[in-house]
Amino acid sequence: MIEIFTLAFLMLVSIASVIAAFKAIIEKDMVRAIVYSAIQSAMYALIFYVLMAPDIVLVYIPVSVGITPAILLFVTKKTERYDGD
Amino acid sequence: MKKSEICVIVSIIIFIFSLAYITSLGGLGYLPPVDVRKLAQIYLSSTYNPFEPTNTSSGYESVTAIVWDFRGLDTFFETAVFYGAIIASIAVYRGVEIDTRKKPIGMSPIAKTVTRLSTVLIPTVAASIAFHGHLTPGGGFQAGSVATVVIVLIVMVFGLRKVILKGLTKPKILLLRSLGLIGIGLTAIGLVLAGLVIGVNAYIFQNQAKPIARISYPMWVDDILVGGSLLLFNLFEFIAVTAGFALVLMLFSIEEEEVRKVIK
Repeated sequence: MIEIFTLAFLMLVSIASVIAAFKAIIEKDMVRAIVYSAIQSAMYALIFYVLMAPDIVLVYIPVSVGITPAILLFVTKKTERYDGD
Repeated sequence: MKKSEICVIVSIIIFIFSLAYITSLGGLGYLPPVDVRKLAQIYLSSTYNPFEPTNTSSGYESVTAIVWDFRGLDTFFETAVFYGAIIASIAVYRGVEIDTRKKPIGMSPIAKTVTRLSTVLIPTVAASIAFHGHLTPGGGFQAGSVATVVIVLIVMVFGLRKVILKGLTKPKILLLRSLGLIGIGLTAIGLVLAGLVIGVNAYIFQNQAKPIARISYPMWVDDILVGGSLLLFNLFEFIAVTAGFALVLMLFSIEEEEVRKVIK
């Protein structure tokens, strides 16, 4: 029972991460794309936690939700916010 | 729906299904695993084993034991590569001065109050991850990246000039980073130096006593498991990683006009 629950949870989180990744790719506003990318990373962190890798979770959350969006926001500020065709 | 969006969806689906197919073909076995593998058994039995003092690390946490004891030299070179990247970014931004006479621009009082609370909470969590790295999941790099988040928050909410006016300047952070790296190096060769002084054999990156090197870092201090060199490595890595990330993020947050004056 617990295994089915684990796999179902993993599937749900994976699908959510795929949707967030798709939204991040097609988004024209870079700031919103960065937020979608952070959501995708948070989903990955949940997957790592369920797959028993707490050390990776502890480094993945600050790097992918804190530091990477910060660097990307600084870069966005120095370049263009909207992606043109 | 546009053509490019359909292309993105199709390529995501192909990527996911090919990954799933390769995983189902490969020898990963039943996922998630239900039994402890042979290799994991070896690591678990040699991480903390008081009955076999010459074949053990000194903490409860296998990952920290692997990272800083079993393969300490690899981790040292990873740290060195990280410093190479930071030194490169400092070299790109050389000579860039920040005009501290201008007034710092910050966000709203709500954001500032929340950030003031976080400047106490986040470093506390980071310190607990670093100091318990040999007992619970965590370690120096994890703690350092958690502590960097608070510096990102302060730079974004209060502004870079405020941080510099408060005394957190580039030379000071460079000094902290160098102290962390020197600490890691000294901990690595600590037992060799001690062995030279008292005239016994010892290895670099040695933590506990080995059959022909009967010298070790203290494992217990007053009934507290301190984990020998693991605690020292975690502490110095915490300082070094925090200072390194903070330096790079502070350099990135300098306004482009100031950088353009120097880099053309």
